[in-house]
Amino acid sequence: MKEFCLITGRTARQGIALHAGKTTESYEKDVAVIFLNEEDMQELGIEDGMSVLLRTDFGKVVVRAAKGNLPKGMAFMPYGPWANLLTSSNTHGVGMPDLKGLKLYISPTEEEIWDWKRVLEEVKKGEN
Amino acid sequence: MRIENVVCPFCGCLCDDIAVEIENGKIKSVAKACGIGRSLFMKHDEDLSFPSIGGRRVSLEDAIEKAVDILGRSKHALIYGLSSTSIEAHRKALELAELIGASIDQTSSICHGPTALAVHQTGIPTCTLGEIKNRADVLVFWGSNPLESHQRHYERYSLFPKGMFTPEGRKGRKLVVVDVRQTPSAKMADMFIKVNPGEDYEVLNALRYMLKGGELAASEIGGVRVEDLRKLLDVMLSAKYGVVFIGMGLTMTRGKYHNVEAAISLVVELNAHTRWSVVAMRGHYNVKGAASSLLWQTGYPFGINFSLGYPRYSPGEYTAVDLLRRKEVDCVLVIASDPVANFPRDAVKVMLELPLIAIDPKLSLTAVSADVVIPTAQVGIYVEGTAYRMDGVPLRVKKLLDSSYPSDEEVLGEILKRIKGA
Repeated sequence: MKEFCLITGRTARQGIALHAGKTTESYEKDVAVIFLNEEDMQELGIEDGMSVLLRTDFGKVVVRAAKGNLPKGMAFMPYGPWANLLTSSNTHGVGMPDLKGLKLYISPTEEEIWDWKRVLEEVKKGEN
Repeated sequence: MRIENVVCPFCGCLCDDIAVEIENGKIKSVAKACGIGRSLFMKHDEDLSFPSIGGRRVSLEDAIEKAVDILGRSKHALIYGLSSTSIEAHRKALELAELIGASIDQTSSICHGPTALAVHQTGIPTCTLGEIKNRADVLVFWGSNPLESHQRHYERYSLFPKGMFTPEGRKGRKLVVVDVRQTPSAKMADMFIKVNPGEDYEVLNALRYMLKGGELAASEIGGVRVEDLRKLLDVMLSAKYGVVFIGMGLTMTRGKYHNVEAAISLVVELNAHTRWSVVAMRGHYNVKGAASSLLWQTGYPFGINFSLGYPRYSPGEYTAVDLLRRKEVDCVLVIASDPVANFPRDAVKVMLELPLIAIDPKLSLTAVSADVVIPTAQVGIYVEGTAYRMDGVPLRVKKLLDSSYPSDEEVLGEILKRIKGA
């Protein structure tokens, strides 16, 4: 399976949406999303707006796929609870987890995009 | 009523030229703010938190009393957040940490904490945003995307403004963006340098080597052609006044504080040739203030523990994510922050298993999940207070409206008073 490099970061839309509330649909729309290179999407058989299952060594999550201005092999997610299902709390002794440059695997899925309640349930279950 | 020169309490730019129109006790319109700032002001009364215990609505008095009970009995509490509240609230939080022997950490630990660690090693040649506006002719944004994170930075402080010695504004400035992807900020650059993810350290040190006259045997370093590094170095050396802006692209990626050390060292060495400074692109509006207030009161900027009655500093040990990962605390007090939305999953899992208290004006995911929620009046909307801009300049944020809830400072003061009196 093709390996991607996951970068998480701030987006303006996420910054705008968070003031309406983190339990709102607009926040989910702007944060439960992964941006990918168009050619990568074609290779994976993914269309804009489709659900995708994302998996790292630390967890998994289902979000919406969207076209982004990214190099091949790179994926970008806004900071937030969806991206953090994929991150590890190992800070290598400095306090800062690895939030950029994670190995990521992506596959199309029929599953619906997880809402914030499902994200919290998954966190509580603690299974990868 | 129109209020001019309002300070925006969102990001480290702390823009202080916002105009707000108030009608019938509500904000009716906002001028000059960026999209995110506009959203903050216009949606100030949406999604507000309310006093609760176990998800059940209670009186404010009961919520405070429950928090006092949890914190008063704790053997090792974690107090976390602070970057979106005032210096006045930080002081109370710190006093509380000392009183109950807690660990106290602020959001720098998952933001520019690695920058602080680098500064311990190298020091930092820095400047104010005013100096940049008035003097800087070469700007290098490294791992930073201000058009999305600090939306008015280009406009107000760095790229576009016409200053005392920069009368041409944008025309008189060169913009370089170094990043792993072509961000919206990079699209506006005169020079975009695309680095391989996790290889900033190599690129920065290659530049340092070339600056010292070294000839590289390789044709490419970290995904960048050596001839492009030479061009970048020539641009840097041509500056009358250059500034490197450090973003999360350096602090959150492999190498972390080593990346920042390399960036600062490059700037130090450039000063043998021409004037260069470094500015960290601080995220939350008072995260710089949180680091400063903890620093001046304890000697340390984040990751501090009071269990022996005096402050001890150990990033990686007393930082929030590490304390949670190792399950070393028995309760968590979150002030004006949302770690449930922003921490890695296994740190959040531990947090949700512990007694969790949220002091927050908004219904964040931390507030939604907390055992005790104490709503407060948002600083910069309902409460005035002091905040530090990303360059360390303190500004007074204004009170625009009345609130029925107390401030973070007042709630923390009340908790302190009751624990002391118990």
